[in-house]
Formats: sequence, C-alpha cells, structure tokens
Amino acid sequence: MSSLRNAVHRRNHKERSQPLNRQKYGLLEKKKDYVARARDYHSKQDRLKAMREKAAFRNPDEFYFKMINSKTKEGVHLTERNEKFSHDFLKLLNTQDLNYVTQQRDVGRKRIERMQQGLVLLDDDVHDEFAEEEDEDMMGSSSKTIQKPKNHIVFVDNEEEVKKFDPAKHFDTAPELVHRKFNRPRTSQLKKDLTISHLEKADIKAATKERERSLAELASRMEREETMAKLESEMTLRKNLMLKGRKKKVGVDKDGLAKYKWKADRKK
Amino acid sequence: MGFGDRGGRGGRGGGRGGFGGDRGGRGGGRGGGRGGFGGDRGGRGGGRGGVAKRGGAGRGGRGGARGGARGGAKVTVEPHRHEGIFVAHGKEDYLLTKNLVPGESVYGEKRISIEGADGAKVEYRVWNPFRSKVAAGVLGGVDNIHIAPGKKVLYLGAASGTTVSHVADIVGPEGLVYAVEFSHRSGRDLINMAKKRTNVIPIIEDARHPHKYRMLVGMVDVIFADVAQPDQSRIIGINAHHFLKNNGHIVISIKANCIDSTVDAATVFAGEIPKLQEQRIKPQEQLTLEPFERDHALVVGKYVRAK
Repeated sequence: MSSLRNAVHRRNHKERSQPLNRQKYGLLEKKKDYVARARDYHSKQDRLKAMREKAAFRNPDEFYFKMINSKTKEGVHLTERNEKFSHDFLKLLNTQDLNYVTQQRDVGRKRIERMQQGLVLLDDDVHDEFAEEEDEDMMGSSSKTIQKPKNHIVFVDNEEEVKKFDPAKHFDTAPELVHRKFNRPRTSQLKKDLTISHLEKADIKAATKERERSLAELASRMEREETMAKLESEMTLRKNLMLKGRKKKVGVDKDGLAKYKWKADRKK
Repeated sequence: MGFGDRGGRGGRGGGRGGFGGDRGGRGGGRGGGRGGFGGDRGGRGGGRGGVAKRGGAGRGGRGGARGGARGGAKVTVEPHRHEGIFVAHGKEDYLLTKNLVPGESVYGEKRISIEGADGAKVEYRVWNPFRSKVAAGVLGGVDNIHIAPGKKVLYLGAASGTTVSHVADIVGPEGLVYAVEFSHRSGRDLINMAKKRTNVIPIIEDARHPHKYRMLVGMVDVIFADVAQPDQSRIIGINAHHFLKNNGHIVISIKANCIDSTVDAATVFAGEIPKLQEQRIKPQEQLTLEPFERDHALVVGKYVRAK
C-alpha cells in the first residue's frame, strides 16, 4: 500500500536544459555526451600517436616497392588510373556507392529495354543492303561479295538471274517501298487500303513530337548506361585491388588502363 | 511566412487552453512555411480536427507512367506483308499479332485493343523483336516466313513459348504449332502457355530424336528451328525427313557463337549453307538480325525431298 502511495507522489525527473542566455552554445552537455565526445577524441589522438611513432621509428634505409611504383608530379601524389578519367567521371567515382550504381544501372537498363521495344524498330534506313548470291545446281554456292555490310542475301539459281535481279520484283512490292525493311506490302495488298485504324491529323503531329522526344531520351539513357557500366567496372576493380589476393598486370585495355589478373586461390 | 499561405499546417497547439498562450502563436507562424513547395499536394494535416484533404485530383507520379499503347490506343494499325502480322504506328511503333486468347498476356507483353470497322474490339499483342528472332527477321525484311494463318508449324527449340505464342496467334485456330523443347524447366512454361492455346502442342523431347515424338506430330508445312547447337543442320534435316512435306519450308535461326566461336559470324553463316544443302534444303534467303541480335542470322530454305 505504502509503495503505491510513494509511486503516485514521485515527481518526474526533469533534466536541466541550457539556460536562455547561454543558448548560443547549443544544447547543454550532459555526462553521457561528454563521455562519447571524450572517447572519440582519445581514439583519434591514439591513432595519430601511433602514426607519429611509426614515422619516427621508420628505417630510412629500408626499401619499399612503392618507392619505384608510385610517382609525384609537382609534389602531388600521382594516381595512375585517375589520369585517364574525366573530371566528371572522377567526381562520380569518388562520391557514389557501388551498390547504388549497380542498382541505378539495373533500373536504367530495364527502362532502355522497354523504350527500345517501341522505338528503334521501325526506322527506315535508306542504304542499299542487298546482295544477291548465285548458287547453281544446289551445290557449290560461289560466294560473290558485293556491297559493304550486306545483311540480306537472296539465293538465286544462276548467274543470269543475278544480273537481272530486281528487288522490287523479287519482293513483289512497290519500288519506293523496297527500303522500308520493316514492312514491304505485296502489290496485292497495296491495291486496297487495309489500314485498320487511322490516326487523326492532330494525333499524328503529337505522336511524331512524342516520338522525337522519346528518341532523344533513349539516346541519352544509352549514353548514361555506358558511363554507368564503366563506373561500375572501375569501382569493382578498385575494390578488388584493395582486397587480398595475388594479382598482376596483364596488358592494357583500349583506354590505356592496366588490366589485372588474379591468381586463382582456393577459398577455404 | 515567406512562402505564401497555401495549405498551412495550422496553428499547432494554438488553442490548447489557458497556459502557454504565447507559445501557441509561435507554432502557427511556423506552420505557414510548409506546403510552399509541395506543388498541389495540399498542406499536411490541414488543421487539426478538420478532414485532411490531400492532393486534389493528381494521381501521383508513378501511376501516370503506365499506359503506353494500352487503353484508347491512338495508333494506326496496318497489316504486315506477312499475313497475320500487323504493324502499329503511334507515338511508339509496334509489331503485333492478333491475340488468340483476348484479355491475357503470356509473358507480360503489352496488349492493344482496337476497334475494327464493324465496331468490334480486337485485341493485339505486342511482339518484341529483341526477344524473338522471328520478329527480328520480320522487321529485318525477310521475304517470306512461311508462317501464315492455317499453316502447320514444327517449332524446334520452343523455350518458354514466348515466340511460340505469337506463332500460334499467326497460324490461328485453323493452324497448328508443334513446339519441341528439351529443357523441363522452360518446358513447364511452354505447357502452361499451351493450356490456353489449343493450337499449340507442347512436346518435351530432344529434337535430335524425332522418332520419340513421331506419334504426336503430323506432316507440317514449315519447320522453324532455334536450337543453337553445332549440329543444328543435321537436327533440322532429320526432322524435315520425318515430318516436313515435300517442297515445305524451313526457317532457321543461326547463332554464330554456338556453331564456331573462333571465326567471324559471316564465315559461320556461309559454312552452314552447304550443310543445309546436304540435307536437301535449298537455301532461299539469309538475313542477319542486326540490330536486334548480334551475330545471328535467319536462313529460309525450301525442302526438296526428291529431285
């Protein structure tokens, strides 16, 4: 009974706060805050002391491979890989986190994939891509390369047919549609208008505008993807270089950056 | 108050009762600052006790991203050179096939429904050329794919049945697709797809041994093969000998890497042609699938059983 009475009467403990006239010093420090601050301070001091000691007891005659491998330029330590990157790239490299980059890249790639579906395909590109190849008698097709990047080869029976090959006739379409690779309607289809649903004129204009915008977006996304890929691989490489494991340089890549190879170690 | 008085937070504690009078005033002042940058999101809380009314009509950023060609699609749809395939133009361009099972996607692809001349709605499914070699070939301008309404198709290397579903759309209810896949894992998806499409007959067998499924497959008009094996021309050959009618056609997708990864793609393709000729297949055309696939080619040929 008495204990209950005591409980009711007990006042809340109130902590003293910073007086108004000392408000400029911030929050009033309590013992536990002091302890945290002191611990932090001492740990830093200890680390500094350890480093000073190490420097003091250094053997000036001792040889380190870093003495040969690293250089300075006008007194500034030179990091070999950084020289090859642009300022913007280095900024990204030093401020972003690998996991974040990986995630953003994934998101970006998905987006590109989705956009590409509806955009890249139906571009009329007007360059000649035909190459006919004659092949007499089923066997022995003598390949006769004609144009630059041939991507469509039509096989015909003899030399004669190669000479008089007419794409429009072969594809059974109008000559002006031969280069419209994504859809070359047959002449029978061209005679009647088979379009299922039409766009209004205003809609066409809006759609074209939207398309152009999307194409520009896609281009910039792809460029970004390229940077991100480079960034990710560089970050992973730097992380791996810091880890243990025997490695050696094996040549340079196309940007003139050293490539590394790790010794296969058994992981226990 | 600076930011204008849109959707203030309401004087927090302003009318709390007798004590703390001047403090309440301060709270109110601070409240005004919020909501300034939130666009039309409305002030948070909007005064205690009142009904919090948020954001007006705006649906928020994410929901808006959906849509694309779906719903009230503003597109022109024209039939493709190849019967059963359509092309949509709008703010995005698509290759389409008429959906055999309206209302359902097979692998999460987009669907577009369009009102025909008679007012009936027809649903189409978007066919992604980056995922299907047939679609890539169609957009690349192949002369003839020989897959058309009413045709019987033997599809070797059906995988999960994404392309098979579109082939089934093209051949329609009168046609048939025998889809052969060796892997059980992707075969499972194939079977699930075939449950909805009665014109697809899934066969989980090795395409190297056609005698194992000879009881299931009748004569076919065309064989499509996407098997990516070094001996693929032989595989296609024996399947053709078993099931393909005379003067039937074959369509093969060749992945250069899977045949020989040491020489360049063009050499590999050129090397495959005589191998096909050995199997009595007369090549008609060859098309590389750039830019949709790298180092892939689609070869169309005619099977001439007897000279």
